[in-house]
Amino acid sequence: MLSSRLIVALLAIALVACQPPAASETEPALRQVTLVLGFRPDVQFAPFYVAQQEGFYADAGLEVEIEHHQAPDVQRLVADGQAEFGVADATDVMIARTAGIPIRYVSTLYQSFPVALIGDTADVPAEPSGLAGRSIGTPGRFGSSWHALLALLDAGGLTEDDVTIREYPTFNQVDGLTNGDVELVTGFRNNEPLRLEARGMEVGLLTVDEVAPLPGPGMIVGDELLEADPELVRAFAQATAAAQAAVIDDTDLGFAAAEVAVPTIGEEPEVARAVLEATVELWAGEGFADGAIDLALWESGYETMERLGFIDGSVSLDEMVAPSVLGDAARSADSTS
Amino acid sequence: MRRLGAGIVSLAAFLVAWKLVTVIGGYPEYILPAPEVVAERALRAIGSGVLWEHTAVTLLEIILGFAVGAGAAILTGIALGKSVLIERVLSPYIVAAQAVPILALAPLLDIWFGGGLLARVVICALIVFFPIAIATMVGIRAADPLLAEMLRSLGADAAQRTRLLEVPSALPVIFGGLRVGVTLAVIGAVVAEWAGASSGLGVLINIANQGLFDTPLMFVALATLAIIGLAFYGLVVMVERRLVVQ
Repeated sequence: MLSSRLIVALLAIALVACQPPAASETEPALRQVTLVLGFRPDVQFAPFYVAQQEGFYADAGLEVEIEHHQAPDVQRLVADGQAEFGVADATDVMIARTAGIPIRYVSTLYQSFPVALIGDTADVPAEPSGLAGRSIGTPGRFGSSWHALLALLDAGGLTEDDVTIREYPTFNQVDGLTNGDVELVTGFRNNEPLRLEARGMEVGLLTVDEVAPLPGPGMIVGDELLEADPELVRAFAQATAAAQAAVIDDTDLGFAAAEVAVPTIGEEPEVARAVLEATVELWAGEGFADGAIDLALWESGYETMERLGFIDGSVSLDEMVAPSVLGDAARSADSTS
Repeated sequence: MRRLGAGIVSLAAFLVAWKLVTVIGGYPEYILPAPEVVAERALRAIGSGVLWEHTAVTLLEIILGFAVGAGAAILTGIALGKSVLIERVLSPYIVAAQAVPILALAPLLDIWFGGGLLARVVICALIVFFPIAIATMVGIRAADPLLAEMLRSLGADAAQRTRLLEVPSALPVIFGGLRVGVTLAVIGAVVAEWAGASSGLGVLINIANQGLFDTPLMFVALATLAIIGLAFYGLVVMVERRLVVQ
């Protein structure tokens, strides 16, 4: 029979054994930061999921919480310091900054502008001037779709008065296209065309890149954080760029991470995979996907946005972008040739 | 006069509280603009004509949506109140339609009705319909059975009993429904515009919020909607005071 002392000793040993292992005192604590994305969980955010799941952020000393909000909230949350990082359209950054929202674009995620005019091949003109008289569906008079549409019309010597615009604020313009209510719609090159092809349409595109280049979506931070802790911003941008490069090299890695983070991905896995592959092409652009900022593209986009009346030129380009975060290795003639 | 004074004091207190929140909270303009910033933006929006351009569209949608929705609701409510069979057949559909979030259905309604004013009036009318129909049904059923019996004994047919007794006695309850319905008409117009429109205060909210990042302009549109709601509510109360014997 076990003595009561022995039982107490065994219980004590068991209790000690059940204690969780103490964190190593030499292990540095991770800095908690929040990233806000202006869309629901989606495979297009694979670099962030990979960075989170595969330790890219942890290696940079970061513990990143990803939050999904509505697109226009991203700028406000980041500017107000409620989130450290966000992803926003470059054209929206120009407008928000001009409106007095203190944010900066610090790294590029999409080297190609993702919005295009989409329709049946027979309905898509070869040149923007061919848009005259067409009916076009778009979510509304805001956002990158609207900016791209007006830039295309402008490139064709047209204005919104030369076309019939129908608005779909709930982003269901594709239904309007398949329903025959409009001939063309604005949409993301890595999404809507794939879904339309799945419905049997032979899809044609008219993109802005060649005729009216605009900078694509990228990472934003608040002025305050950028000034107070540029190293944190650099660490985050570098880790994200590294994860993005990893996904470009191996889309299976990105898809596997998205499977963990996107609850609905199992509903149409083939479409999701196709979306990821199309997205990778937009990230890479002309083979340049290290997050650096193409200042020449920004200058041209700034001029276009000013000419279209979206910005008034009162805030300079220097106050909108911070190319120094990832080094000044903005796209050069050497890197693209 | 006393009522007007109370209203002015209440408004002043609201503006002071709003101002205090912005000062104490230290909110930037793009998160919560101060009342004077919104007032200044409102003057600019009025001066440029932008506010009226969008307000006129929303007013038309509210008036038509409320007229169609309330008219259909009163007729349906009378039928529901007078016939148990009709109530049994229609009620499940009416209640189910009310339970479906119109926000989810609105984009489809916009496509079904070809976009444009018709689609927006339909969406607005649907939102207005339920409280008025139910109020009318309840009011019709609450008619004094003794008076109904008396009219019957005097040879009044069903239409006469409805016109002379049931509708007049139901008016206070119907107006209760109309008060709720007219404020819902304002929401209905905005929901309809969010489903698909080129102009209107709902569109202005979207443009200000998502396109221009102009939070003060968004507040101007919201304040205009609030004023419209108050004005239409007051109009319904005024008509009620004239028609209903207190």
